[in-house]
Amino acid sequence: MSDHDIPKKDHDKVLAGEYALGLLPQDEAEEFAARLKAEPELRALYAAWVEDFAGLADDLPDVTPPGSVMRNIEAQLFKGKEISILARLRMWWLAGVVVAAAVVIAVFAGLFETGPRAPANPDYRADIAAEDGSLIVAAAYDAATGRLFLKRLAGRAAPDRAFELWLIAGDNPPVSLGVLPETDTAELTVRPDLRQDLGSGILAISDEPTGGSPTGQVTGPVLAIGPVTKT
Amino acid sequence: MSDMDEIEHLIARVALRDRNAFTELYGRTSAKLFGVVLRVLNEQALAEDVLQDVYVKIWRNAGKYRVNGFSPMTWLITIARNSAIDRKRRERGVQPRTDLDEILPDTAPGPEALAIRASDNARLMDCLNALEDGHAGAVKGAYLDGESYADLAARYEVPLNTMRSWLRRSLLKLRECLLK
Repeated sequence: MSDHDIPKKDHDKVLAGEYALGLLPQDEAEEFAARLKAEPELRALYAAWVEDFAGLADDLPDVTPPGSVMRNIEAQLFKGKEISILARLRMWWLAGVVVAAAVVIAVFAGLFETGPRAPANPDYRADIAAEDGSLIVAAAYDAATGRLFLKRLAGRAAPDRAFELWLIAGDNPPVSLGVLPETDTAELTVRPDLRQDLGSGILAISDEPTGGSPTGQVTGPVLAIGPVTKT
Repeated sequence: MSDMDEIEHLIARVALRDRNAFTELYGRTSAKLFGVVLRVLNEQALAEDVLQDVYVKIWRNAGKYRVNGFSPMTWLITIARNSAIDRKRRERGVQPRTDLDEILPDTAPGPEALAIRASDNARLMDCLNALEDGHAGAVKGAYLDGESYADLAARYEVPLNTMRSWLRRSLLKLRECLLK
């Protein structure tokens, strides 16, 4: 901007004000933003404008927002909180539990004696394991029938508590697949609307009251986790 | 603790992912920020949507606040104002400026910035009112309505370049007045 009315020494002062107001044309704004990163003096000039202009908000009336706003914020930020815990758990899980994997492979080699039988050629499988190996459940899924076969290799629910199995798909909150029985093997039929998600999901087991979570969401600690993989 | 210190303390706790602090920060500041957003957008549903966006940004960027040299209410108000202006421009099909690091860069250590900050709103208003007729309105229009030079030129019925020269001279006067 060739502006001869503004002394050269004051150009940056004015430019910083224009940038703070959002008045600079795109190319000049980009140039200013780049300079801002490199020049502390320019940042100080800009910061002074930002502080001063924020004073324009002082005279505006306060308006209490409706309660739905905070609910939406919490839903956006915290609804997936369990997932972030799970994502962290998944990292260690991917890093290790080699022993568990070895055991699981042995199991699916056909070493069952009683109870439900694992599908001969499962489409998907998962090893749902605790960090310390205190709970390990192997899962095998037959997409054609929607049947999920589970074999508990380690761990047992505490008295008056139960293990509940959850499916986590994408950014959605966990969906219960059911409460695990006390027996070592179990089989459940996955709800038709969840089958599509299962193949790319994560299975997790949480500690819940007998009969399962009273709220339909995970209430107890997540004990074990495993991503579902295609066989 | 002063209100300002308390807000600062809450932002620091939010940076540590303290949800109770976040709820309290929202309780203490949302009416102010909603007032700002509503003033810019003048449409309830849109303003609510932007306010949600503002607090999501606050949650996600609180860690950057601690050291960046802005006073806490300035930091919050600037996020609210810029988010609202961005939305307003996007609604009009204009490319918004969304990079928070550019809008609120880390200015610390910035003793100059603190030294030349206008201490209060009354001073700002005095200095704005000392500008030539209409010029204070142009500054407010840019800040609170997101008016561009083209908008201002149309409103004041002057050529674009004239508008810009005008406003630039006013900004310099304003800065000089605020420094007195």
